[in-house]
Parts: sequence; C-alpha cells; structure tokens
Amino acid sequence: MIRFEQVAKRYPNGHVGLHELSFRVRRGEFLFVTGHSGAGKSTLLRLLLAMERPTSGKLLLAGQDLGQISNAQIPFLRRQIGVVFQNHQLLFDRTVFNNVALPLQILGLSKVEVAKRVDSALERVALSDKAELYPGDLSTGQQQRVGIARAIVHRPALLLADEPTGNLDPRLAAEIMGVFEDINRLGTSVLIASHDLTLIARMRHRMLTLQRGRLIGDGEAGQ
Amino acid sequence: MSATRSPKVSERVAPKPADPAPEKKKRGNDEDDGPDFGTLLRAWLESHRSSLLDSLRRLGKQPIGSFFTCLVMAVALSLPMGLSLLLSNVERLGGSWQRAAQISLYLKLDASSRDGEALRDQIKGIAGVAEAEFVSRDQALNEFQKQSGLGEALRELPENPLPGVIVVTPKEVDKPALEALRQRLAELPRVELAQLDLVWVERLAAILKLGDRFVFGLTVLLVSALLLVIGNTIRLHIENRRIEIEVIKLVGGTDSYVRRPFLYMGALYGFGAGVLSWGVLAFGLNWLNDAVIGLSGLYGSDFALAGVPPADGLSLLLGAVLLGYIGAWIAVARHLSELAPR
Repeated sequence: MIRFEQVAKRYPNGHVGLHELSFRVRRGEFLFVTGHSGAGKSTLLRLLLAMERPTSGKLLLAGQDLGQISNAQIPFLRRQIGVVFQNHQLLFDRTVFNNVALPLQILGLSKVEVAKRVDSALERVALSDKAELYPGDLSTGQQQRVGIARAIVHRPALLLADEPTGNLDPRLAAEIMGVFEDINRLGTSVLIASHDLTLIARMRHRMLTLQRGRLIGDGEAGQ
Repeated sequence: MSATRSPKVSERVAPKPADPAPEKKKRGNDEDDGPDFGTLLRAWLESHRSSLLDSLRRLGKQPIGSFFTCLVMAVALSLPMGLSLLLSNVERLGGSWQRAAQISLYLKLDASSRDGEALRDQIKGIAGVAEAEFVSRDQALNEFQKQSGLGEALRELPENPLPGVIVVTPKEVDKPALEALRQRLAELPRVELAQLDLVWVERLAAILKLGDRFVFGLTVLLVSALLLVIGNTIRLHIENRRIEIEVIKLVGGTDSYVRRPFLYMGALYGFGAGVLSWGVLAFGLNWLNDAVIGLSGLYGSDFALAGVPPADGLSLLLGAVLLGYIGAWIAVARHLSELAPR
C-alpha cells in the first residue's frame, strides 16, 4: 500500500523534516506513527497527501510514485485517501449531511447515491440523527466523528489521521479509536499520527516511532 | 494487521483521469469497466448545476451587496455603450457617410442627355461606386428655378447655362480611395469637372474618428475598471471560502471544481450588470428623447433618438457576462495557487 524508500524531506530554510526514511505499510494494516512534536509525523502525512514532495528517495502509494506525480494527478490520488484532522476542518455553514457529502459531490455521484452513502457513513459513526444539524450544534467528539464520516464516505483505500484525539478526553479518544478500528476491519488501511502513547499502547497495533525525522522504532505498540 | 478483508483499491475508490469521476458500476463478478458516457455526462451536468445553484444562493444571501456590485459594473458598461449609441444617432442625424462624400461630375455643355445616361451606366460598373445618378441640364434648371426663386429671371436667359451632372456615391469613405476615384472619374470623356468636397469629408471623418477613439478609450478604461471590480469581488469571495477550498482540495477536488462556482458567480454578476445597464440606457435615451424631439421640431425635423436596438442590448448582455467570467477567471487563477492545503 505504502512504500517509503530512503525518503528524505529538506526544506529551503535548511530544516530537515525526514531523514532517509524506509518502511512499508501493507494493505488493510492499522498503523500508528508517534513521536514528539517536530519528530516528522506531520511531514510524513503531508508527503502521503502530496501536499509536499520528497527531496530524495522514493515514496509509493498504491503503486503511484508521489515524487513524480503531476499536479493534475494529485486530486485523483487524494480521492483514494481519507483524512481526519485534529481540528476537524468542518465547514460550519453546511449541515452535517453536506459536510460528509462533499467528497461524493466532488466525485459527481447522483443525489440518491450520495444520500445512501452519507447515511451509511453517519450510521457507522453513530450520528444518523444529527444529519440535518450544523457542526456548531455538536460536541467536539461528535464533530470529530463527522470528520471521520467525511473521511470514509468515499470508501478510501487509506485513512490518514493527524492527532485525531488531540482535543478529546480519554473516554472520547477511546471511542474515536474504536471507530477507526471498525473502519479498519472493513479493509481500509489506517495510519494515525499521534503522540498519545497511553492510548496507543492499549490498542496493540504496529507503531512507528520517529525522532527528529529519523525512524527509531518499528514494532507492535505496548511491547 | 487486523483486516478481515483486503479489497483492491479500485474496488472502493474511483480515481479517474477526468473530472468529475463518478462511481464505477459494480458487476456480478465484482469487476468494473468504468463509467459509461451517460454517467459521466450526468455527473458533469450535476456538478455544473450545483455550482450554479450554489453561486446563486450565495449572491442571494447578500442581496444588497450583490446589487451594488452589479450597479457599479452597470455604470461602467453604460457609459461607453451610451456614448456609442449617441454617436450612432448623431451619424444618423448628419446623414450617411456616403452622402457626405458624394462626387459631382459636371458634364460638358455639349453632352446630351443620352451621353449623360450612357456615362452614368458606365460609371455604375466602376469598382468602388455604390450609386450613380444622372441629373440632366433641364432637370438641373428646373430644380434651380424652384429652389432659387429666380424662375422668371432664368426664363429670360437665351439658353440653359447649367451643365448635366452625375452624382456618384462611393462605396467606402476613405480619403485616398475617394481622391483616386475622383481622378479616375475626371478623366472620363465628356466630364468637365469632378468635384469632391474633401474638406467636409475630412472634417466629418475627424469628428467621428475623435468620437470613436474617445468611446474606444473610455471602453478600455472602464472595461479595465470592471475587471478590477469583479476581480476584487471574487477575491473577497475566495478569501471568505478559504477553508472550504482547502478542504475541497484535500478531499480530491480538482482546480476546475474549485474554480467553477467562482466563474459562475462572475458570469452572474456580469448578467446582472448587463440587465441593469440595458435598463439604464433604455431609460436614459427615453428620458433624453423628449428634449431631442422638442429641439429637432424647432428646426422642422422629425428626428428622434433611437432606443437600444435589441441586437445591441443582447451584445451588451453577452459582453457583460463574458467580462464577469473573464474577471472571475483572472481572480481565481491568481489566488487559487495561494490556496494550497496547509
């Protein structure tokens, strides 16, 4: 699914985001990327979303070389990915339904198909009864679940999450992680960047540990 | 790895080399062969329909702001268009160009009416001649007697002193071409004198050229202002929707998908401005017309200003929509690259 081969990212100001990182993620795998602030977690996610390009090395996602991908191809690459942000990035002037429907509208699906899939996604995150509300009417945890529904509604092959539980209390964080596990059980690869080691340790999935842009650990969490 | 099923990427997502990329159809054996043309067309139309409705909804949310933007654009459109319409009316009042540039061929006194008619027919066949009219010596004398009021005195003359005349109307009004035509006509047999009032033609040409240039300059200036107005308005809309654009880009929206509602918005502003401008011009010309009719009546004329011809009105509307679209395109092209997801 994902292949990092000696991937490095250096910024024009001299800062090195990643040092020749190499690892693989199999299809359907659940993976945490952890490390302190500045370790390179966000850089790694930005590379996977083609928001940035590697300075050197080879980064393959579903067979596509993200170092060589053209700007015109990037939107189509991103349609294979679902992304969940720490701050949800919801549109507050749209209803929950319309927030979740956005990726499907971009795909140009029919209204009937959009409604069917949005209902299904909202059901999966237990928000079926909130479809007509606006994000401002929801709690932080519910907003995050709307973000997750939007990320999975187009049935992506890969789900990326950047500190998805950063603003949540432990109970809500565990609940959100449960949602990610449910999604993963349906076959979607899940990659979560998080520094919540306590939570990660409880879940017993593969964990990559970054430190100052270098991979210093690759194994099951809690071991 | 906790997955119970590992479906292929292509089974769940429909990345396509075209925008938009609708869902692939599932078959019994779970294979797919991509969307058919009808599905793609429906998706494309649906995308445009929703962009248009979204733009209308957003304009409707700020009716006063939208109206004033259209009004500013309408004023910018109305000034050059109004001046151009007034110039057309002045041209109509002053007679056609061709009439102002007629060449009078005075024939020799010994040329008969038959000679004159033959010469007229010959002249009609010359390139650059739109019309040729022969006025015989007798016709000329009759007209002169009527117009001068010297009928009795002229009848005392031993013979008709007036020559026959062929009045030639050229096809084009262009000084060198007119002069060349005059010289050619002067060399024809039985022609005593070929007269062209070039000074009058030059003056008229200069006045109208000045008018045209003024209108052109004003049009360029105001069209630039209009593009700036629409560009700035669209830029503000883009700024207000920055987060939305970033999210759309992150979930796979192409640049054309992001651009589309803004282009519709620009075109809608242009349409509104075009309708307003048409209305302002129709009202303005109608308002002026009363005074013009009164003034021309004092000179014994029935001249009246023509309104906005439907063809000109439609051109104005189309031009306004096009300008709105272009202005929006420029604004979006300038700002879209700055809105890469962060």
